Amino acid sequence: MTLAVPPGASGPTPERSDGCRPAEVTDSSVDQAVDRLHVEYAGRLRPQLVVRVVRDCRKDLGGSPVGALPELVERLARYRLDRHIA
Amino acid sequence: MGYVDVSAVRHTLSDGRLLLDDVNFRVGEGARAALVGENGAGKTTLLRIIAGDLVPEAGSIARTGGLGVMRQFIGSVRDGTTVQRLLVDLSPPAVRAAWDALEASELTLMETDDERSQMAYADALAQWGDAGGYDAEVTWDTVTVAALGVPYDRCKYRELNTLSGGEQKRLALEALLRGPDEVLLLDEPDNYLDVPGKRWLEDRLLETRKTVLFVSHDRELLARVADRVVTVEGGTAWVHGGGFASYHDARAARHERLAELRRRWDEEHQRLVDLVRTLQQQAANSPDMANRYHAMQTRLAKFEAAGPPPERPPEQKVAMRLRGGRTGVRAVMAEQLELTGLMQPFDLEVWYGDRVGVLGANGAGKSHFLRLLAGQDVAHTGGCRLGARVVPGFFAQTHAHPEWQDRTPVDLLWHGEPDRPGVDRGRAMAALRRYGLAEAGDQVFRSLSGGQQARFQILLLELSGATLLLLDEPTDNLDVLSAEALEEALAAFDGTVLAVTHDRWFARSFDRFLVFGSDGRVYESTEPVFDETRVARAR
Repeated sequence: MTLAVPPGASGPTPERSDGCRPAEVTDSSVDQAVDRLHVEYAGRLRPQLVVRVVRDCRKDLGGSPVGALPELVERLARYRLDRHIA
Repeated sequence: MGYVDVSAVRHTLSDGRLLLDDVNFRVGEGARAALVGENGAGKTTLLRIIAGDLVPEAGSIARTGGLGVMRQFIGSVRDGTTVQRLLVDLSPPAVRAAWDALEASELTLMETDDERSQMAYADALAQWGDAGGYDAEVTWDTVTVAALGVPYDRCKYRELNTLSGGEQKRLALEALLRGPDEVLLLDEPDNYLDVPGKRWLEDRLLETRKTVLFVSHDRELLARVADRVVTVEGGTAWVHGGGFASYHDARAARHERLAELRRRWDEEHQRLVDLVRTLQQQAANSPDMANRYHAMQTRLAKFEAAGPPPERPPEQKVAMRLRGGRTGVRAVMAEQLELTGLMQPFDLEVWYGDRVGVLGANGAGKSHFLRLLAGQDVAHTGGCRLGARVVPGFFAQTHAHPEWQDRTPVDLLWHGEPDRPGVDRGRAMAALRRYGLAEAGDQVFRSLSGGQQARFQILLLELSGATLLLLDEPTDNLDVLSAEALEEALAAFDGTVLAVTHDRWFARSFDRFLVFGSDGRVYESTEPVFDETRVARAR
């Protein structure tokens, strides 16, 4: 079971700057996933799409344990990007 | 802080026998209550009712604070249960539920890696965090380091059957004592622990601010730890508000009081019956007496309807008659005796009538030494012989007789053994009755409780006519009363006794001590020595 996660609170919910539009999430889980997936999908998908999908995944996974976020975000993003290609 | 309140609990066994009735007691916040009683009196059943495993036929259980339960079987787990599973099972219900959900979602993800499964897994992880799962994992790491000396990640998949009984117990106790539950139910927590382990347990139970209800037969532990004693006997339970030191006097006084109340009730009942009879005769002759007769009839009916007070619980009748007999002055002589690979050579002389406690580290060769004296084949060098007319009788640990498992006590007594003549059924039943085993006479040996098996082995010693008793942990499974009966029988025994024991209370009844050190040295002591640590050997 994958539980090598540092103890801590759930991941931060994206802050809202104007009360209606969620602020863009730019934590390390997003940065790491973007870096890896850029390379992995280079030439097959536009870089902007990769960034957008990763950020959407991070938003959808708000509330997950912080330590588990990098793995969860990257895994979900890879699934969604594969579907774009398909 | 938590408490347990048991109110008017009744429980009937599947064969219709009433095991417990009108059980009432409270274990208040921070109390350390011992639960004692004969083997089979219902202690474990009562713990299971309090734990919620069994629903009482009547009555109720109230408690606050989380409940942590250590069951009796921990220490003898032989299946594939892992360290991780044990720690999960000892956790609060919310952590257990979150763990199960997480495990299920992970399995689903392994089979179907779609968005829905991934979101379900993320949700299960969040619930694991909310339930305190990550905090629990930090605690488990502390627990495994304390109990096994290795971090949680390195031992979580290890099976419990690779741990000793003492390590299993220590692991569970560390988890419960460090865990969040405020009320602990511990069923024989000291079983399988050596003396340093028992001392550690005593210190931890004295330190903890949790509320503890524990079953134990170890009188030293009871005396040090319990601040009240709940006794299950006579089909109900009562509480002695003091420690174990004053328990025996309190129990005797209670039995006398119950007997006195019952005697008074019987006398009053007889007086009312006589009065009704007299008034009946007078009413036949004098109509004026009819009203008084009817009033007295009503009074008698009310008295009988209220019922008698509870009977004095029957005394456990364990009458051990270890007779022995006069032997040569030197009962056991050893010269430069060395059990191969176990200890250094030593000399020993044991005299007729000596009571020798054999103490020391686990794995040092104590049991092998007794088996050698009993005439069994044990590799050794040096000399060892028994004196004139010395007939050894060996009490082995209860699991040491696989050939008995499917035979009944009556059958074993009837057939006898090379060194013990067989007896007919009548004599066998009479002997079994003296050891409180009459009802178990036709059950197979393996179905008897540990205490019953131990008592049966002592009966075999009695019938064998042994003049040298070699006892290997004889009190391990005996309840307090049976252990005291054994001590009385040994005191009256005309012969020599060598006993391996970790029971500090029992050891104090011996005259001298042979100590098997962890460094392989064997030495004599006039005082019991319990500080020898486990022998370190490559495994």
